[in-house]
Amino acid sequence: MPDWKQEIRQRLAHLKLSPAREAAIIEELSQHLDDCYADLLARGVSPEEASQTTLAELSEQQFLARELRNIEQQVPAESVVFGASRRTNMIADLWQDLRFGARMLVKNPGFSLIAILTLTFGIGANTAIFSVVNGVLLRPLEFKDPDRLVIVRTHDAREIGGGFSGSSMPDFREWRARNLAFAELAAASNSEFTLIGEGDPDRVNGALVTTNFFQTAGIEPQLGRTFTSAEESWGEHRVVLLSHGLWQNRFAAEPGAVGKTVSVNGEPYTIVGVMPKNFDLDRDPRTDLWVPLAFEPGSSWTTRANYYLSVIGRMKQGMTLAQAQQDLDRISRQLAGEVEGYERFSARVDPLHEAVISGVSRALLVLLASVGFVLLIACANIANLLLARAAVRQKELVIRAALGARRSRMIRQLLAESLLLSAIGGVCGLLPAYWGMGSLIALAPPDLPRINYIHVDGQVLVFTIGVSFLTSVLFGLLPALQATRIDLQHALQEGGRAASGGRRSGRVRSLLVAAEVALALILLAGAGLLIKSLYRLQQVSPGFQPDRVLTMLVPLPQTKYQQSERILAFYQDVTARIAQLPGVLSAGATSCLPYAGGGWSKNLTIEGRPAATSMDQVPSVSYRQITPDYFRALSVPLRAGRYFAESDTGQAPSVAIVNEELVEHFFPNEYPIGKVIRMGPPEHLAGWLARPLTIVGVVGNVHNWGLNQPIMTEVFIPHAQGADDPQRLMYLAVKTSGDPMSLVNSIRGQVSSIDKELPLTSIATMERRLNESLGEQRFNTLLLGIFAAVALVLAAIGIYGVISYSVTQRTHEIGIRMALGAPLSSILKLVMSHSLAITLLGVITGLAGAWGLTRFLESMLFDVSTTDAAIFIGMPLLLMAIAMLASYLPARRATRVDPMEALRRE
Amino acid sequence: MSHIHSRILDRELKKGSAELLILSLLEARQRHGYEVSKLIESRSEGVLKFNVASLYPLLYRLEKRGWIEGRWVEKAGQRRRRYYRLTKEGKKVLAAQRSTWESFVAAINRITRTEHA
Repeated sequence: MPDWKQEIRQRLAHLKLSPAREAAIIEELSQHLDDCYADLLARGVSPEEASQTTLAELSEQQFLARELRNIEQQVPAESVVFGASRRTNMIADLWQDLRFGARMLVKNPGFSLIAILTLTFGIGANTAIFSVVNGVLLRPLEFKDPDRLVIVRTHDAREIGGGFSGSSMPDFREWRARNLAFAELAAASNSEFTLIGEGDPDRVNGALVTTNFFQTAGIEPQLGRTFTSAEESWGEHRVVLLSHGLWQNRFAAEPGAVGKTVSVNGEPYTIVGVMPKNFDLDRDPRTDLWVPLAFEPGSSWTTRANYYLSVIGRMKQGMTLAQAQQDLDRISRQLAGEVEGYERFSARVDPLHEAVISGVSRALLVLLASVGFVLLIACANIANLLLARAAVRQKELVIRAALGARRSRMIRQLLAESLLLSAIGGVCGLLPAYWGMGSLIALAPPDLPRINYIHVDGQVLVFTIGVSFLTSVLFGLLPALQATRIDLQHALQEGGRAASGGRRSGRVRSLLVAAEVALALILLAGAGLLIKSLYRLQQVSPGFQPDRVLTMLVPLPQTKYQQSERILAFYQDVTARIAQLPGVLSAGATSCLPYAGGGWSKNLTIEGRPAATSMDQVPSVSYRQITPDYFRALSVPLRAGRYFAESDTGQAPSVAIVNEELVEHFFPNEYPIGKVIRMGPPEHLAGWLARPLTIVGVVGNVHNWGLNQPIMTEVFIPHAQGADDPQRLMYLAVKTSGDPMSLVNSIRGQVSSIDKELPLTSIATMERRLNESLGEQRFNTLLLGIFAAVALVLAAIGIYGVISYSVTQRTHEIGIRMALGAPLSSILKLVMSHSLAITLLGVITGLAGAWGLTRFLESMLFDVSTTDAAIFIGMPLLLMAIAMLASYLPARRATRVDPMEALRRE
Repeated sequence: MSHIHSRILDRELKKGSAELLILSLLEARQRHGYEVSKLIESRSEGVLKFNVASLYPLLYRLEKRGWIEGRWVEKAGQRRRRYYRLTKEGKKVLAAQRSTWESFVAAINRITRTEHA
């Protein structure tokens, strides 16, 4: 059989195919021709004719190549030599660079150790803070299609600051009925519940929710079922869902718990299901049980007067936030036409995720940026070390360049060393981040949302790897570029001494340090502002004396304590008994304790004043019920009149005490004692009239909602006179002569001697409550303070390094000066002025930066301007003092230069 | 229509239809190149014929587009051969081309019939 291969090869020759591809085509085509030839022979064609016919299949000389040209890949003109492709080279080079780099690091253990330690801290701190940001801000909510979940809030145009508050039940019902934008709309109200069953009575956080709440969130129960819509009606509502945690702790994770009956607030409820772990839609991760939101007929909770519901919605597929907002606006307009006085209300929709993190995102991002600054400063320091070392390695690089190494190749090698450094720093940084996470979380304010999502996970790992890589480029590139800028001729002439532009390298180093100083100043200014703000906050008098005061909540179940006499008698009885305990100085109770959250407002009408003509004009004031000794227990000072007495009972004339703020606001030039007020709107507006109360005392102002919150106008009435509206949720406040916590057991004994089914909850000293109210400020201040301190130290090290290096470089010059009779002070001045110039440059840049950046702190500051003069003058001075100190050591060394020695060295 | 135009049309027609022919032949099972060329020749009763120089570039082009897939198969006692089979995408293309072709032919038929009616 003829050999077709040669024919085919000829035709393919111009295509320059890869050898393998060419062989494959030749094989396939020649086979075809073989078959063809064999067929022809089989049909009786002569061999010559068959051979000609077969060859004709290949057409004319150029045809095949032309057809194939556009299809087949041509290999580059270079010859192919096995084992020498570019890619293999790069990997082999990188490996070689890394090995060489490792040897260099081992050879300079001092340098390596400092660089790695700096990086470990820098990357570790960044990893830790990023873990928090990642867990709290970045991680999507753990619900189905979390992007479609929104929060809907009522906006009351009359409220100060245009605040968004909870929503009322009628609003929610209208939204649910009329909306077109939502697949589901659900409401929830947080509450505390007394749970009895399987152990001691317990006070747990829970939520009343509409029955579609779980469908809205897109969460399935782990056990049992969620609520049915029938369970939203009164009478059918006695079913309860447990959190995973409560189920584990109180019911030993037994599946049999579902179906059991427990007592919730004194009524029997059937457990219908258990929710999965980590189901926390609210800011508060500790919601432990859910019950249907059902109302007793005629309940005031269903009126427009009560704005207390959190409403969440699941938008329909494809619906945008703006469309949902338009839909709600349409409903608000409709309602304004139907409901009197509704014009000032509107509804606003926000992504749920945003709403959850809104309070903390600013602070966390500031912290992340700050810790990023610290890493930048660390990078600048290492870059400086590398620059200094590059001078030492100059000889090595010059030789390599002389032997023909390309610049890019040398840069790559130097970068590989940087990469190695930061990789080690990254790995080492992960460990403290991992171990430090526990203490970071412990430090974090307890109300930080989604705190249980904070940990070192895959995303954090990716972040760390990315930061390590970026860091290596940041600190490695500049020195690598500098070091490899070699003028061979010049370098070889000078014999390897100071071959690269020494002056230029010195300038780069000075600029780097100036940048460090600038960054450090920005951090110092920020930290200074926060520290001053915290200090100011701690200087604010709470308005009472928090020391040696024990507080706790004693809630009375509605079923057992229905008649007001029973409620009033209980608190009267329990405070009296506790007051008798040894070590107790006074014991009182209040419907609302400072820093315990919650509040209650009522309308205020003052007798003898022109009546308001519309509800808009009726002021509202904070209102609370207290027992006679409450003010004594907290040592709230009396400004005028008297405290309440045991004789202020339901039979006695109704009395009230007001705070100074109220007097200032409503009775600015009058003596308030004896004035008569009513806790309600005027009769012609409301259709009813609240009973008259005579003001008998004025007490000092108390910061009830936090030291950074404004004082409210307040009215107190005796609990014993609150029979028409008796409070079942009263906090006890007990002033003791010794350690307040030592009295917890005897107080518990007194409570259970009256009713042994009552739980004592929320037990804490007043000092702790006060402290915790500052938790967030303290956390931010502490972290930013640490970062600023580290930045200061790093900047000082940077200045020391640069000055010290320049002194070494200038030994010769200094020697000559001294030999010529320069006094020591002028040498000192010479060195210090260099340092001062660097620092000043940094301070000026830093001041400008701080001026621009501290405004991001505005919402985190209390009573301090973002451009506080003391901080903006003090911090630069502090920084300059530290800088002078850091440069004094090398400067002094310069003055000890022995002129003979220095001159001889040349 | 000028001579050049008719030549271009002729080439395009052939190219377009050639793809369809090959895809159709590979639909039922995998075949090697020689088999494909023989089938085209025999089924068209000698009207259509592809020689090596046009068939294989076409096969390679279809393979590069991902419509067919060739692989070397070695059977006992035979030389190893390159078999082509239709890919998933090739099947889609075939279906589309087939319907385009059918409507094209139907349209031509309708027009030519009208002309001669």
